[in-house]
Amino acid sequence: MTNSDKNRLKDKAFQVFGIFCTFIGLVVLAVLIVKIIMEGASRIDWSFITSLPSRRASRAGIYSAWTGTLWILVLTTIIAFPLGVSAGVYLEEYAKKTRLANFLEINIANLAGVPSIIYGLLGLEIFVRQMKLGNSLLAGALTLSLLILPIIIVTTREAIKAVPRSIRDGSYALGASKWQTVWHQVLPASFGGILTGVILALSRAVGEAAPLIVVGALAYVPFAPTSPLDEFTVLPIQIFNWTSRPQAAFLVNASAAIIILLLITFLLNGIAVYLRNRQQKKIKW
Amino acid sequence: MSKKEYKLEAKELNAYYGGFHALKGINIAMEEKTVTAFIGPSGCGKSTFLRTFNRMNDYIEGFRVEGEILLDSRDIYDKKVRVDELRKEVGMVFQKPNPFPKSIFENVVYGLKIQGIKKKSVLEEAAERTLRQAALWDEVKDKLQKSALALSGGQQQRLCIARALASQPSVLLMDEPASALDPISTAKVEELIYELKKEYTIVIVTHNMQQAGRVSDYTAFFYIGELVEYSKTKAMFTSPKDTRTQNYITGRFG
Ligand SMILES: Nc1ncnc2c1ncn2[C@@H]1O[C@H](COP(=O)(O)OP(=O)(O)OP(=O)(O)O)[C@@H](O)[C@H]1O
Ligand SMILES: [Mg+2]
Repeated sequence: MTNSDKNRLKDKAFQVFGIFCTFIGLVVLAVLIVKIIMEGASRIDWSFITSLPSRRASRAGIYSAWTGTLWILVLTTIIAFPLGVSAGVYLEEYAKKTRLANFLEINIANLAGVPSIIYGLLGLEIFVRQMKLGNSLLAGALTLSLLILPIIIVTTREAIKAVPRSIRDGSYALGASKWQTVWHQVLPASFGGILTGVILALSRAVGEAAPLIVVGALAYVPFAPTSPLDEFTVLPIQIFNWTSRPQAAFLVNASAAIIILLLITFLLNGIAVYLRNRQQKKIKW
Repeated sequence: MSKKEYKLEAKELNAYYGGFHALKGINIAMEEKTVTAFIGPSGCGKSTFLRTFNRMNDYIEGFRVEGEILLDSRDIYDKKVRVDELRKEVGMVFQKPNPFPKSIFENVVYGLKIQGIKKKSVLEEAAERTLRQAALWDEVKDKLQKSALALSGGQQQRLCIARALASQPSVLLMDEPASALDPISTAKVEELIYELKKEYTIVIVTHNMQQAGRVSDYTAFFYIGELVEYSKTKAMFTSPKDTRTQNYITGRFG
């Protein structure tokens, strides 16, 4: 066998191996989804969505859970979006490249890797106890905001970085100030990217149970929240609660709720992908 | 030399990027409504020098200047000078066309909007006037609301020229404005420069000797941060005084 034959063989071998690896992930995911759909899809009906939780599996619904998730989603967006984007803009456009800026940068990257339950403990101490918000939606949303802030900051910076130097130069050369350049050029040009990052961060927040359990979200909430200071539950906690019941009927409920949660996540991701594609099509530098 | 009023002057100008001495003791004076070409080998400091006239180097960390740059006999590096006011007076066009990812109209009126001008009639009038000046009006008048990115490279560059003219500057700085364009677009831009000279003082950096010969009244030859020779373009191209200039314009280096 010549050397080039050997190389070709290695090439082929790696290709097969690569395809195998790719499929493992996809197959496992597909099996899981199919299993859950087979278990839960028939349980989803109007009353499942509009009913409050109950001790009887057949009467229990996810009304308080999905309204809680929706509340959390909206509140987290309101809190984390402006904070994260502002911080990203500051770090990218304004901060001088000093030691402090470097230190901040490294630590923001680190924060994105901190386990979410640690954020829960932080939220419990600061928002629930010190700020006396109690086990409220607001405390939960603030906690999740902390969790996703680093992601938003990092993606904002990436999106801003992708705006070419020449656009800023053009703006400055016409007499625009830094703020005007950021507001009129950099942000509009990077908005698609920023939004994509924010949505992906939110879709992560929607799936979190651990930090919210720590700040005191309840497993059993027989009412839909009506204000940010209400107690609450969310879909992941409801699911967790149902899967820990011994009765099989609750497992079916859990599968049905998982389908709803997956739909919400896929929807958010779909919007993110759509925005990214539109942005790429619209702007070619 | 008589006590003439010059449009632009540099006096004993030194510029540094950190420890790197990029411009060395430059003295030059340019008359109103003339075209001056900056030529010289790559890296000799043409762009650096050009960008001192609208202080575009201010954003580069570690950059500093010594000496004076005078616009209408006022030192533009004086602390009292506002950079945004200066740039209303001194427009700039870049090497690569850099239209904003907005509509053609929004591109042209950006400078005015930045100044707080909101009145639609004023903006529309300015857009038409400058697009006509940039010889682009006929090509775009029916699609002012379309994206500027859909224009050809040559059209984009003329749009950038129109954009720079909107705030009615008196000086136009152009850094290799045609080097990214095809020959036909280049000819159009050169024609345009010839027209604009009637109203504006123009400084143009170019690597193209023929272009310098065609469009400029004066030529300045730079070499490793120094201004080697500065004279009427015809004189420089027919009888350069310095051997370095001669070598460069006859294509022996650079
Ligand atoms: N931002 C910067 N930081 C440090 N040095 C720089 C910077 N910009 C330019 N220089 C240096 O200054 C010198 C002059 O650069 P400049 O861009 O003015 O040259 P130029 O004559 O315009 O060249 P070209 O014809 O290639 O455009 C070069 O040696 C370059 O390496
Ligand atoms: Mg240059």
